[in-house]
Amino acid sequence: MTLLKYAYYPGCASQEITKEANSSTRLVADKLGIQLHNMPKANCCGAGLLTDYDYDLYITLNARIFAEAEEMGMDILTICSTCLMVMSRAAFDLKNKPELLDKTNEVLAKAGLHYSGNVKVKHLLWVLANDLGIAKLASMVTKPLGPLKAAPFYGCHSLRPSDALGFDDPERPWSLEAVLKALGAEVVDYTGKTKCCGFQVDLVTEDTAIEMTGTRLLDAKTMGAECIVTPCPFCHINLDNYQSAAEKQLGAEIELPVFHLAQMVGLALGFSASDLGMSRHLVSAEKILRR
Amino acid sequence: MKIDLKIRRFNPTTKNGREPYYQAYSIEASEGMTVLEALMSIAAAQDPTLSFRRSCRSSICGSCAIKINGFTKLACSTQIIPEHEKAHEMVLEPIANHTVLKDLIVDFDPFWKKLDKVKPYLMPPETQPEGRTKEVHISEKDAEAIDHAQKCIMCGSCNSECNALEIEKKYLGPAALAKAWRFVGDVREEGGRKRLGRLSDDHGIWDCVRCVHCVEYCPKGVEPLTAIERLRSRAIQEGIKDNHGAKHVEAMVNSVKKVGRLDEAAMTFKTLGLLRSLGMIPFGLKMEMHGKMPHPHLFPQIKKIDEVRTIYAEIKRKNKNAKKKPKG
Repeated sequence: MTLLKYAYYPGCASQEITKEANSSTRLVADKLGIQLHNMPKANCCGAGLLTDYDYDLYITLNARIFAEAEEMGMDILTICSTCLMVMSRAAFDLKNKPELLDKTNEVLAKAGLHYSGNVKVKHLLWVLANDLGIAKLASMVTKPLGPLKAAPFYGCHSLRPSDALGFDDPERPWSLEAVLKALGAEVVDYTGKTKCCGFQVDLVTEDTAIEMTGTRLLDAKTMGAECIVTPCPFCHINLDNYQSAAEKQLGAEIELPVFHLAQMVGLALGFSASDLGMSRHLVSAEKILRR
Repeated sequence: MKIDLKIRRFNPTTKNGREPYYQAYSIEASEGMTVLEALMSIAAAQDPTLSFRRSCRSSICGSCAIKINGFTKLACSTQIIPEHEKAHEMVLEPIANHTVLKDLIVDFDPFWKKLDKVKPYLMPPETQPEGRTKEVHISEKDAEAIDHAQKCIMCGSCNSECNALEIEKKYLGPAALAKAWRFVGDVREEGGRKRLGRLSDDHGIWDCVRCVHCVEYCPKGVEPLTAIERLRSRAIQEGIKDNHGAKHVEAMVNSVKKVGRLDEAAMTFKTLGLLRSLGMIPFGLKMEMHGKMPHPHLFPQIKKIDEVRTIYAEIKRKNKNAKKKPKG
C-alpha cells in the first residue's frame, strides 16, 4: 500500500474554538497510519470572506498555501469543509485558467514563491473513505458503535460546488454514511443532511443562522437520530453551541449531541471520550456514551 | 423500460386536491426521453388534469424547473432513465421557496417583484460628462465580467435551492442578485454606487449564507454566488461598510494580514461592535466553561507572515494601477 502522508491543514477554527477536532484527528490518524505533516507557514484560506473582499487577493493567498504543500511534495488534508470548499474553488480556478495562474505567480514571485498548479485538496472524510478505504477502516475498528443511531451532517461545503470538489455526489452522497457504517453505527437518513447550518451568517443575521441550525437538528431528531456527526467544525459550532438558542427560538426540545467526524472514528478505535475532548461540547454526549 | 413516477398533486379548487398528495403514474421510457416528455405523455394519454409549465423544450425559456428526486432541475434537460438509475425513484414536485398554485405550478409573482427591486436595467448618467463620446467601448474583459450573469433564463432553480430563502423569505435571493451584478458590473452603468447602497441594506447581498446551492443547480452556469461575491467586493470598494456583513469581511481581511489567520474574538467584536458584543456575554460565559471562548491574540503568527503582507501590498498596488487606466 502507498504511504498515506499529507500536508495537514486543520483550519483556523480547529486550532482554537474546536481544537478537540484537531487533537482527535491527530490521535485517529496516528492509529490508522496516516501521516500528518504540519504546515507552519500556512495562512487562513479566508473562509469565503476574502473572496467577498477581493478575488485576486483570495486566489493569491490560497496559492501561497498550495505552494507550501507543493514544496512538501504532498496533497493537502483538511478537517474543515469550508476550508475544503474555499481552497478547492481556488485550486480549480488556478488549474483551469492558465492566465490566472500566470497572474497569480507574478504576485507570488514578489514574495519569492511559486505555485505550479497541481496540488490536490482533500478532506479527512475522503481520505478515510477513499485513500485509506472503507474496508481497511472497518478492519481497524475495536469498539463498534452499534446500536447508535447517527445522523450524518455534511453541510454545504463538503459537497458543493461538486465540479471543483470532484469527490462525492451532492445529491446522493455516500462517503460519510459508508464511514459511519464501517464504525458500526446505524445511519439515519434525513433531508437536511446536505444543507447549510447557517454558520456564515452567525454574526450577520443571527436569527436566520439559529433558525437554520434548529431546522437541521429537528429534521435529524424527527427521523430518530440520537446524535449528529459532521466533518465540518463550523457546522459543529452551530449545531452544538447554538443548539440551546435554537431550542428557545423554535420552542422545541432537541438535545442532540454533535460529534466531529474524527471523534466518532476515535470512539470506534477505542479512544475514550476524554481523549477525544468531548467535555468541550456544550450539548453533553454522556447519556449516549454511557450505554 | 417501465418507470414508475410519483407526482405531487395539489388543486385548491377541488375537495380532494385541497391537501397535497402524491399520485402514482407509470410510463414506458425510451432512450433519451426527458422528464418533460414523460410529463407530456402522462398529460396526453393518462391524466389531462396534471398541470405543469413548459414551452421551448430546449432549456431556453426557463418554464419547466421542478424538483426531480429532491433537487431542482429543468424537466426538459433531464433524461429520465439515467436519473432513475441514479436515484432508484422518480419523485416530481414543484420547486421550493415558492407558493404552489396547482400541481407543479408555482406563483412566480414574488420572483418578478424581487427582480424589479434591483431595477434590472442600465442606469445611464443623468447628464453626459464633458469630453465623453457617445459610444462606450466594451472590451472583451469588460464583457467577461458580467457574461455569466447574462445567461440567466429566470427559471427560479437557484431561488428554489437557496438555503437562505428557505429561512428568510424577504431575502432578495440569488436570481435577483445575479441580475443586479449584470448591471452593476457593466462598464456603461452609472448608478452603481446608489444601487450598491440599496443592495447592502437588510435582506440584500449580506443575507446570502454561501451554501453554494445556487451555483450547483443553475442549469445555465450563471453562478449567482460569484455575482454576490462581486457585488460585496464592489460595495466595500465603494465604501459602503456600515453593516455587519462588510464589517465581518474587513475584520477577516485585517486579521489575516496581522497574524495570518482568523482571530475569532477580534472578529466578533469588530463585526458586532461593543453593544452587541456585550449582549453575547452570557453565551460567551457558557463557551468559556467548556473552554470554547476564543481569546484574542493567543494565536502565534504564522511563519513568514511577511510573505502574506507582501501579497496584500502587491494586490493593492495592482488594483490601484488598474483604476488609473481610463475606461475601455
